[in-house]
Amino acid sequence: MSSENLPVMAILKRAATRFDQLIARSEGVIAEKLASHERAVADVLDDGFLPNFCNGWAIFNVAVIAEMLAIVIALVSPQLPISETMLGNLFLISLFIQWIAMSGAAALCVTRKHLNRLSNLRALIMSYLMLLCVTWIVGEVAIWVLWLAHVTSSPNPEWNAYFHLQNLTVAAIVNALALRYFFARHQLKQRTQSETRAKIQALRSRIRPHFLFNTMNIIASLIRSAPAQAETAIENMADLFRTMLTDEENLVPVKNEVAIAQKYLAIESLRLDNRLNVEWDMGKFPRNAVMPVLTLQPILESTIQYCVEPLTEGGHIRVRLWEEADHINIDITAPAPRSKARTQRTDMDAALDNVRQRLESHYGKLAKLSSTQESGQIVILLILPTRGENP
Amino acid sequence: MRVLIVDDEKLARDRLRELLNEIGGHTVVGEAMNGNEAVERTTGLNPDVLLMDIRMPGMDGLEAAMHLMGMENPPSVIFTTAYDQHALHAFEVNAVDYLLKPIRKDRLAGAMDKAHKLTLKQLRDINEAQDQPSARTHISVHLRGNIRLVPVQEILYFMADSKYVTVRTATEEHLIEDSLVNLEKEFGEKMFLRIHRNALVATGFIKGIEKSPVGTWQVTLTGLDKKLDVSRRHAASVRRWARA
Repeated sequence: MSSENLPVMAILKRAATRFDQLIARSEGVIAEKLASHERAVADVLDDGFLPNFCNGWAIFNVAVIAEMLAIVIALVSPQLPISETMLGNLFLISLFIQWIAMSGAAALCVTRKHLNRLSNLRALIMSYLMLLCVTWIVGEVAIWVLWLAHVTSSPNPEWNAYFHLQNLTVAAIVNALALRYFFARHQLKQRTQSETRAKIQALRSRIRPHFLFNTMNIIASLIRSAPAQAETAIENMADLFRTMLTDEENLVPVKNEVAIAQKYLAIESLRLDNRLNVEWDMGKFPRNAVMPVLTLQPILESTIQYCVEPLTEGGHIRVRLWEEADHINIDITAPAPRSKARTQRTDMDAALDNVRQRLESHYGKLAKLSSTQESGQIVILLILPTRGENP
Repeated sequence: MRVLIVDDEKLARDRLRELLNEIGGHTVVGEAMNGNEAVERTTGLNPDVLLMDIRMPGMDGLEAAMHLMGMENPPSVIFTTAYDQHALHAFEVNAVDYLLKPIRKDRLAGAMDKAHKLTLKQLRDINEAQDQPSARTHISVHLRGNIRLVPVQEILYFMADSKYVTVRTATEEHLIEDSLVNLEKEFGEKMFLRIHRNALVATGFIKGIEKSPVGTWQVTLTGLDKKLDVSRRHAASVRRWARA
């Protein structure tokens, strides 16, 4: 009996075919998703050196520059045979140059996405050649228009070659200048971006070796006496370090930032024992309230380092968070840091300055971080826009 | 050996105690949480060795060790530290023992075996090598084998005579072996002002500068009835300080 005749096999076969179809279909869906995703990514990344010529502002800029070029040419060139007045001369030259400029801008607008996907050198060469082509085509069309309007007697006048040579030379020079400008601007932009990123990175809370090794020593001690506590400490350490080691400068929900700060405080409490006493007073926050990652933690870290640790009897820190008029308010009160010389800027000031600079890169002038000292206490007040939008 | 453990973190002290137990042959005679307590307990408990953290609130380990070196028979000191890039180089140059946290048992055992006494010079050199050499927070006074720590903030003035320097607080007077030149250099003129060849006055306690009936200048101090003479050589600098 062959297997074909078994009803079970038939069902299985049908099922297999159906399964194949399903897979094929889902593969199609996935491929389509991937393609659209790639398109989206390309749109977002879009970091080639050619600027976007598809908007009104760019077109306006091109028109202004083309007009300036037209005026220069009109001023230095002799009267054209086909116009009588100086103004008529300018009009014809403008018309021709604007025509070339607009066609060039349009060509770049259409091909930009493809060009920006190439390497910079290739994109440069391709766009340059394309712009020269546009110049030649427009020149040729112009001659035909003049012939059709019976201004010239033939579609191939004797000055044809000279006309194209002239156009292409001017276009070669002007386009070279323009592309060189775009390229330099692109490089400058990239450099500033990476510098800003590096600067923000440098301002980020760094892992203090003193904290790291003291904590490891304490965990080593806890492993013998209280393994469960040691485990929690290691987990907290891992979460804290993971956050500190990421390069991303993200906005995170307030409650995540508070969670990281509390994990950090749990570790410090192990070290400082009853010398550290923290009181939290956390108000309600809307779910979409966000703040830059590692904003609260470094402030608490320097508060502990400079205000609590130097005291033999320890100190009390109070952290209050609340939302008010679309702003996140954080208020930290601790014993005032002792500086060796009273007039000197304290280490605490320097630490707060770091956070302040990072906030500025996120919010411009919309965020506020201040510290005041009175009757032996330091009060640090942090105010951030709730939705964390960049200005 | 009799050991005194000095660290501001309780769990760090626990670890040293347990490791010493495992190594065996040593008795932990006590613990201290900062430099002041370390000096105080050393005189009471008579340990052979101190295992002492460098960074502590109040008086740090280095200063505590300096005070102890003035004892007739000072204990050996092994420093412990989590991380002190600059200081550690100075420790090695001056052949002073230290242990890095997390503390390892074999390293601890090795250090205990070769624990030796330090000299004041070694400690001073280490202090000098730091980024900002720190002034002492206390002056130690030795009384019949005991050490008394006098907080620098409470000192009204230092007065030198032929061999000793008198340390004066609102309530007490002590003699120490030191020189005004050294003290002046250590604390700087923000804290102590030279008013006479033989006198350094705490700037925080200066109440006023006035002319005596004989025409010389005198300094009055908060909490002290006696007026201190300003020498003619220092009159100009004292008045300049008063104006600033």
